[in-house]
Amino acid sequence: MRAYELIKETFLRRGYIWMVHAIWLALYGLFWWLFIPDEEEFGRFLFTWSGFFLPLALSAGVFGDDIASGRICVLVTKPFWSGQLYIYRLLGLSLQAAVHLLLAAGLIGILHALMRRGSLEGLGLWLLASWLLFNTCAALSTSLSVVVGRAYNSLVLFVVIATGYVVVNLLTSLLRQHASAGTFMSFIKYPWPPFELLSKFAGGEHEEYGLTVARFGLVKSIGCVLHSLMLTAAYGVIGIILLSRRQFSCMRD
Amino acid sequence: MVLVQPNQESACSEGTRAVVECRQLTKVYKKLLARRTRTVCALREVSLSVHRGQIVGLIGPNGAGKSTLLNLIAGLILPTEGAVTVCGHPARSVRARDGLGYMPEHPAFLGGYSARATLQYHGALLGLSREAIARQVDKSVQQLQMQEFIDRPCCDFSQGMKQRLALATALMNDPQLLLLDEPSNGLDPVGIIQLRDLLKQLRQAGTAIVISSHRLGELEKLTSDYIFMHRGRIITLADQAATGQAGRLRVELVSNGRHVAEALLPASQVLEVSDTELVIAVNDPADVPDIVANLAKGGARITSVLWQKEDIEEVFVRLCQERT
Repeated sequence: MRAYELIKETFLRRGYIWMVHAIWLALYGLFWWLFIPDEEEFGRFLFTWSGFFLPLALSAGVFGDDIASGRICVLVTKPFWSGQLYIYRLLGLSLQAAVHLLLAAGLIGILHALMRRGSLEGLGLWLLASWLLFNTCAALSTSLSVVVGRAYNSLVLFVVIATGYVVVNLLTSLLRQHASAGTFMSFIKYPWPPFELLSKFAGGEHEEYGLTVARFGLVKSIGCVLHSLMLTAAYGVIGIILLSRRQFSCMRD
Repeated sequence: MVLVQPNQESACSEGTRAVVECRQLTKVYKKLLARRTRTVCALREVSLSVHRGQIVGLIGPNGAGKSTLLNLIAGLILPTEGAVTVCGHPARSVRARDGLGYMPEHPAFLGGYSARATLQYHGALLGLSREAIARQVDKSVQQLQMQEFIDRPCCDFSQGMKQRLALATALMNDPQLLLLDEPSNGLDPVGIIQLRDLLKQLRQAGTAIVISSHRLGELEKLTSDYIFMHRGRIITLADQAATGQAGRLRVELVSNGRHVAEALLPASQVLEVSDTELVIAVNDPADVPDIVANLAKGGARITSVLWQKEDIEEVFVRLCQERT
């Protein structure tokens, strides 16, 4: 019952959430219908919108709203471990994303059948990569929401990731010839949401490996999946610690 | 009385175990990287205990530390020093929360949820079964007269409706300890009377209730146990004047009031004086017959005597003035 209510709440907490899902699905449909993309183009579009922008929209203020309204003071006086509050909310977001991606697959499947153009090959891997990326971004955004007020967690995350993307690309081009560049780039790259790794996992590096899952090396594929799951868990643990340690003051003298 | 002196053990046997025990609580608010001069000591070495079936009114001027104390008992904030236990468990623990019902000053709910859905949601968070939730919802609807708005969305609620719903959510688990912050805010007179009756029923059932309120008249109708707070400290209630015994004696005379006052009464005891009226501060009502007899013996021609017990508002104002 508790899990069900907390998961359900992630969908019902704001009136616009169902609209976000509808708009995103409409975007996929429009992109497919207007541009007749190949599988990789569509995969990358789906990956970006459902893996990065969707969690930002769905997790905006996931804890910040409660903190701003004072609702959190009642929630954290209930007799259960505060971590459960975090876990079930993240699970709620993750389940929404899973259903969202299944609906997206269904929609594209219908469009493909009706229009008889484009390719659905590899869509499954893109869906999986999108869901994994969604989870890492949602965990990061949810953890940020414990300390950032209202819905600013999504905005902050967007700005940080966009800036980080530019900085990493600049450093990559600058340090390309340097001996320690690889180690340095790994240090920068791996703790952050795995945009590159998961897009390679879904897009593939053709004919590079003998033993493959779809179009990517088996070990690397497993590594990518595990890496994203571990990142989700790590971001989640940080959020749970923050939530458990944070003091909430809702009353005014 | 509710106060426990520092370093004094309070009764903790099974029958008389305190529902809330605060020992030497100190709370200092300090912003990250702030200078020492910018820290605020909201609570200083506060010790108290609240027992089953007791209603305790928490009163004091703004910034006295009432909300900080309530927050500490609710486990929302951590003490800088000292400890709080609720039902024998540390305040922030899950077992302490098991017996806790908390109603904030400004209750907030998910706008899209109806009152019924909100109660079901809180029941689920408390770990109640579907049947128990349904039972509690029906009980709350009856107790708090929520029939008219139980299926309306919370975003349409008036302050009074929100207060009723917040109280209903706090009562979902039949708590052993109920913390209420300004519970009568926004309630109409009928609502206030219903709230008072409900709190009395809960007290009879053994619930310990701590109320922070500025409506002293309302508190006075509920309890005689108060905690006066001022600048983070509990003002000692050992002074009889603060415990509700004190009052004023209004004596009407034929004439010579000023002369009588000067001759027969210590100046500190005379609050108001005119030729035909004296107002005398009295700490114990048992002293009234002696005072009247002395006045008569001294030649005062008394036409009427009126004993007025000091109400909680007067005590509050007097204590605040004394402390500032």
